[in-house]
Amino acid sequence: MNRREKEKRKEKSEKEEKKSSRFESWLDGDRDIYDGNMELRPQKEYEPSPYLLRRQENERKKMEERVNDVARNKEYRVFKRAYRVLAVVFCLSFIALLVLAVSWLPPVGQAGNPDNNEVSARYIEEGLQETGSVNIVTGMILTYRAFDTFGETNVLFIATCCVMVMLMLDEAVLKKQETDNDRKYEPKNDAILQGMAFILCPVIFIFGIYVILGGHLGPGGGFSGGAVIGAGLILYVIAFGFKKTQRFFNEAVYKTAKITSLVMYGLIGSYFYITGANGIENHIPLGLPGHILSGGIILPINICVGIEVACTMYAFYALFRRGGL
Amino acid sequence: MAEWIRFIAGSVFLLIGLFIFCVQLFGVFRYKYVLNRMHAAAMGDTLGISFSLVGLMIFSGFNFVTLKFALVILFLWCASPVSSHLIARLEVTTNEKLEEYCKTEKETDK
Amino acid sequence: MAFLQAILLGFLVVCAISVSFSRNLLNSIIIYMSFSLVMAMIWICLESPDLAITEAAVGAGVTTILFFVTLKKIHAIGQEDGKDKH
Repeated sequence: MNRREKEKRKEKSEKEEKKSSRFESWLDGDRDIYDGNMELRPQKEYEPSPYLLRRQENERKKMEERVNDVARNKEYRVFKRAYRVLAVVFCLSFIALLVLAVSWLPPVGQAGNPDNNEVSARYIEEGLQETGSVNIVTGMILTYRAFDTFGETNVLFIATCCVMVMLMLDEAVLKKQETDNDRKYEPKNDAILQGMAFILCPVIFIFGIYVILGGHLGPGGGFSGGAVIGAGLILYVIAFGFKKTQRFFNEAVYKTAKITSLVMYGLIGSYFYITGANGIENHIPLGLPGHILSGGIILPINICVGIEVACTMYAFYALFRRGGL
Repeated sequence: MAEWIRFIAGSVFLLIGLFIFCVQLFGVFRYKYVLNRMHAAAMGDTLGISFSLVGLMIFSGFNFVTLKFALVILFLWCASPVSSHLIARLEVTTNEKLEEYCKTEKETDK
Repeated sequence: MAFLQAILLGFLVVCAISVSFSRNLLNSIIIYMSFSLVMAMIWICLESPDLAITEAAVGAGVTTILFFVTLKKIHAIGQEDGKDKH
């Protein structure tokens, strides 16, 4: 009895397995369900009759003649004239609308203007104590409006992702076009350019780092410094080619730097939002205003934004030019 | 008195720089061929801008801004001739009818 | 200062119009670059050097390079001057 029951159970489980596996294969589309159940014949190729072809050709010719006959085509002439007139009228009316809107604005720099409200007063009066940054603009966009700036940085990230989706090529294609991409139109091993780039690239990088690190002390910040560093990277690529650049900046480095900086920004920013929004004490020291290690979260966020923007600029250039990093 | 001397020296340098810029603009619009125009433009980019910046340095006196001006001059002297060189190189390599526009050395190697 | 700003704004208008009326794509890109430079100067006049740095680096530098690369990619440079037979 026991044996029989066991065998029965085994059969049942096997059947269930079969059923589940069949369901899975149906779900994956492994088997053509019409295969074997329906009669399948290869389709005939479509062959239009010569009469039909001739008629189509004639109709096309007639159509082209009618369209290209500008002298007698009344519709076309009317359309062209009306298009020009309407374009001018539309532009002029749009300009008039804009000028009218501007004329309603209050004159710049008066005390009673609506932009002189309590928000800007607070930024100017208590910005230094609350953010610890000498440069009010940076203090404003990276602490009071850190959420906006986080969105902007994400926009850059998404933009590079889109460009990658559209322009990224396979490794095999890239290898095939390697010499073409590197040295087809660009100056071939120009000694003067390479010597100058050898001197200028470090200077540009140092200037970019200076602009990033001095974001809370003077004009500058992550966006501008990152753009400067990205421009330096582009100069390096133009002078020395992609092969030499890939030694220190390939796809792995790009991904690591970019995602790390974005995640770091997210973590610092979310800590700041949560403590700020709930009135919890913030443990990031503000430091002495005017020193380089001051400003609380501004300096690390500036560095993150700088890395992000530099990667974006270089990635745009590399993807546009050769379809890979 | 010292202020006056500084003012006059600075403005003389600035005026020379502006004059060179005017010559550059005239040359760029007067000449028709790329290499001639490039010569005029490169002259303004290096000499004119350095004269103007020296004038501004004299105006600002001896401080940190002067050092920055000097660095700007150095950077432009490095960067501008190289870009002119690249333009000239591109023109020479891509223009097939170079002999029509300017004298070239005859290729004796071939 | 107001006079200088008026001149710069006039430049801005001229650049914006000539970008759209220029037949040669390369010319329009270079004019657009000068537009960005003039804009950077106006930002400095309006006392916002942060924006001026960003405008000069992004608008005049990187965007122009990207435009050039794109034009080269779609083979649009060098077709308008009549040298190529098209």
